[in-house]
Amino acid sequence: MEETNIESPAKSNPAMAILAGMLGWLVPGLGHLVLRRWSKALVYFVAVGMLAVVGLLARGDVFSFNSTDALDKLGFFADAGNGIFYFLSGMINTAGPDVSHASGDYGTRLIATAGVLNFLCVLEAVQIALGRGTERPVG
Amino acid sequence: MILNHFQMMVVFALGVSLAFAFLSKSRMSDRVRYGVWAFLAFLVVAIGIGWLMYPFSH
Repeated sequence: MEETNIESPAKSNPAMAILAGMLGWLVPGLGHLVLRRWSKALVYFVAVGMLAVVGLLARGDVFSFNSTDALDKLGFFADAGNGIFYFLSGMINTAGPDVSHASGDYGTRLIATAGVLNFLCVLEAVQIALGRGTERPVG
Repeated sequence: MILNHFQMMVVFALGVSLAFAFLSKSRMSDRVRYGVWAFLAFLVVAIGIGWLMYPFSH
């Protein structure tokens, strides 16, 4: 079960770092999957996916880049971290956002939290591929 | 899907503590310990702040 490979020599792979970063952003956990961090990939997908899907089903608001409000634009950058869940938000929440209830307001925060969490996961995947931090690339 | 405040808070605490545990710890036993601690801390602090704010709502 333990997959941390601290003993192996650090082998930096910038191409893999870019690939893992992009895949990890697009589908939460996929970056760790290509780096053979199986349990992390599963946990990140479940954690980010749960927050994003519950937030969307609770009719949370998803911000777009075209907003003129600075805080809404900040919200867009947080939401964009969800990758595929951001692009599929219209399909998951077909009724559209409704923040007149507390549930929808919480949903908005859950979606933003999921996006920011996924950015952290992407950064970790990039670090692993570059051989930095406590973990080392496998192989 | 309509969830109440507490249910939303539990979902938030569960997702964030799970991700934090795997981001910050490498050994499984440390992850479990940290994840449970963070989850309970989220709930206790949120409920505590809720009770602290209670007098101001009346």
